[in-house]
Amino acid sequence: MPTRSSSPPARPAAPERAGRAGARWRPPHAGTGTAAGRPSRAARSERLAPFVLVAPAVLILVFLRLYPLVLGVNFSFTGDGDRNGSPVGLDNYVYLFQDPLFRDALGNVGLLVLLLPVAVAIPGLLATFIYLRVPGHRLFRSVYFFPAVLSPVIVGAIFNLLLAYDGPANAVLGAFGLGPVDWLGDPAVAMITVVGVHVWATFGMALVVFLAGFATLNSSLLDAARVDGATLPQTIWHVIIPGLSRTIQFVFVTTMIGMLTSMFGLLYVMTSGGPGGATYLPEFYIWIQQGKMNRPALASAASTVLFLVMLVVGLAQIGLLRRSGRED
Amino acid sequence: MRQRTLWPALLVAALTLTGCGSATRPETSSSTGATGGASGAAQGKLVVWDWKSGDKAAAPYIEKAKADFAKQHPGVTVEFVAQPFEQYYTLLGAAIQAGKGPDVILFNGGGQIRDRVDALLPLDEYVSGDRERLAGWDAFSKDGKTYAAPVTLQGHPIYYNRSLYQKAGLDPTKPATTWDKLVGDCAAIKKSTGAACFAVGNKEGFAIQFFMSGLGSGILTPQEYDDWIAGKRDWSSAGVKRIFQLWKDTGESGLNNKGANSTAMFNDAFAVFQSGKAAHVIGLMSDVGHWKDFAEFLPGDQLGVMKAPVVQPGTTPSLAYDGGIGYGVAKWTKDPKLAADLVRSLSSTEALTAFYSSAGAIASDTTIDVSQAGPAVTTIVSDLKGGKPALHVALSSKTLELMGRLSQKLLDGSVSVDEAVRQLAASDKTG
Repeated sequence: MPTRSSSPPARPAAPERAGRAGARWRPPHAGTGTAAGRPSRAARSERLAPFVLVAPAVLILVFLRLYPLVLGVNFSFTGDGDRNGSPVGLDNYVYLFQDPLFRDALGNVGLLVLLLPVAVAIPGLLATFIYLRVPGHRLFRSVYFFPAVLSPVIVGAIFNLLLAYDGPANAVLGAFGLGPVDWLGDPAVAMITVVGVHVWATFGMALVVFLAGFATLNSSLLDAARVDGATLPQTIWHVIIPGLSRTIQFVFVTTMIGMLTSMFGLLYVMTSGGPGGATYLPEFYIWIQQGKMNRPALASAASTVLFLVMLVVGLAQIGLLRRSGRED
Repeated sequence: MRQRTLWPALLVAALTLTGCGSATRPETSSSTGATGGASGAAQGKLVVWDWKSGDKAAAPYIEKAKADFAKQHPGVTVEFVAQPFEQYYTLLGAAIQAGKGPDVILFNGGGQIRDRVDALLPLDEYVSGDRERLAGWDAFSKDGKTYAAPVTLQGHPIYYNRSLYQKAGLDPTKPATTWDKLVGDCAAIKKSTGAACFAVGNKEGFAIQFFMSGLGSGILTPQEYDDWIAGKRDWSSAGVKRIFQLWKDTGESGLNNKGANSTAMFNDAFAVFQSGKAAHVIGLMSDVGHWKDFAEFLPGDQLGVMKAPVVQPGTTPSLAYDGGIGYGVAKWTKDPKLAADLVRSLSSTEALTAFYSSAGAIASDTTIDVSQAGPAVTTIVSDLKGGKPALHVALSSKTLELMGRLSQKLLDGSVSVDEAVRQLAASDKTG
């Protein structure tokens, strides 16, 4: 297959690049070494320049990201209410994992991970069609992106109306003789409904990323596949997916993070975590504990768990995709 | 790889062991944060904190109260500081920690004021003259002392649509007094108008609270009811189980509007009632979801209020209500008598009449003439005398949240009544 040729050269390229970079880096060191007798001011400022230049970014990261993170983790080991401020060890974490509601929320995270390939495949497929210039692809490109500019609250409100028990969605089903579905009130359906709406509202962004990825795709490979007589599924599987593996990797991770951290607005508007806690996600749980139950330390313990879950899921995804990319 | 995991592991271990520091500092008495509007009663100035005075509908009320106070104390200026409600108790907490702040403070009745009585002055000696005239004192009392004078009342009357009753050939002046009769009336209404019996919105899990408090007095015996309010709650008793069984049965027998678990109470369920798609709704007395809200579609003469129907023979139905909001006096005020006089002005008949007519709240003053507002309001006010505190108000927010979730599961059949009651009992015990 023509795709084979794309990866082998990548491996030898790495050491070669490192060697070249090293070679280029040496001269300034060598220069200062020989001129050790009279240290020039220019050389010292050149040596300090990189640190000064990265300092703002590093300081912002450390003080506005890492430090609060550590504070939050620290806070999760203290108590709430009567035990406010006193160290309680792992009590908050023990409570979390004994709370069926939090376990449900984690279970729903598992469901999201399972639904993730679908959430990535939809924008991927649609982007492929646009790239392959299906009729009307210009129109579709803008139409698909449109929901991405709406706020989750507005999207939630629109779908609340559409999916109401006596709303238009059920009226359409009724016209086909199908029974009404309680989209947001049936615990077996509600989570899928909300995820579906979330995908609808956000896939435009992933679509744009995919289209950007397509721009880097080597079109001669596609032409070669066409000449070889490959069918559309074969082209997608053997040419497009391997060629876009970095893009897919990126979309996978950002979609997962999006699902875990920015579904709050939709959940709040569409189901309020119900029915019976069926649509709880960790972030909703965090908000309830902090905002309604006045248990900020427990909420930061839950935040820490959510952070770890995302870290593990993200790293696992990158690992998997990297391995599959190599096999291709 | 080992190095990469070693550092986070060390960090976590260190944090677990120390667990020091916290975002919300433990309470200290020597804090010195200046929080807007320092006490200044001695200089002839009183500062009031609330979340109502910025509201247009409450403006006539504030004006009347100010005028009443100015008559008694012409030299004293009164400053109202309207705080946003979402942050009200956070800001107040900071003022209390600092030991200075407003002289007169608006509170919600129940837990919100009882948690903060350490910062408040008992008002019993000042308000004894208002005892008879005002209702709803219990919500502002703790351990036999009163800390605020009630302004409005909040409760859960059962509203019904009189025109639907008429269409079904029922007498709108004689609503059902027993559950069986109510179910019969609902069947008749359904047959002739297609309307559901109850408008229920349980998306947020609030409907069970309204159901429990609206119908509870017809299910629990007076003794059981009083015990519940006093904190002696027997969740495994037949009466308490009956409440949840009735909730489940009401859903299963199709008395509720369809899709109750996906209907928001505020304000979709009330919209269902207003638009005549349901004959009854358990609503509120003040703020929202009440007679004044319904008036746009259901004017006074088409709206009725009924007592809870008797579900369990031997019970005496009563209106469930508590003090809604009320003004208290801070412990640190310089002239307690002066601040208490302002509280009395804020709950004077004249001021409360203005509040009732402009904001539509049921005021705590039982002497206000409400005969112009239609049969619903007249019934509510006449029921105040025999009323009792609402059942759900006695529960902690944690238990209420659990009850909301379990009520949704009861409606969709994924939990049994026994299991729900067992979980609630466990939650109620731990507080």
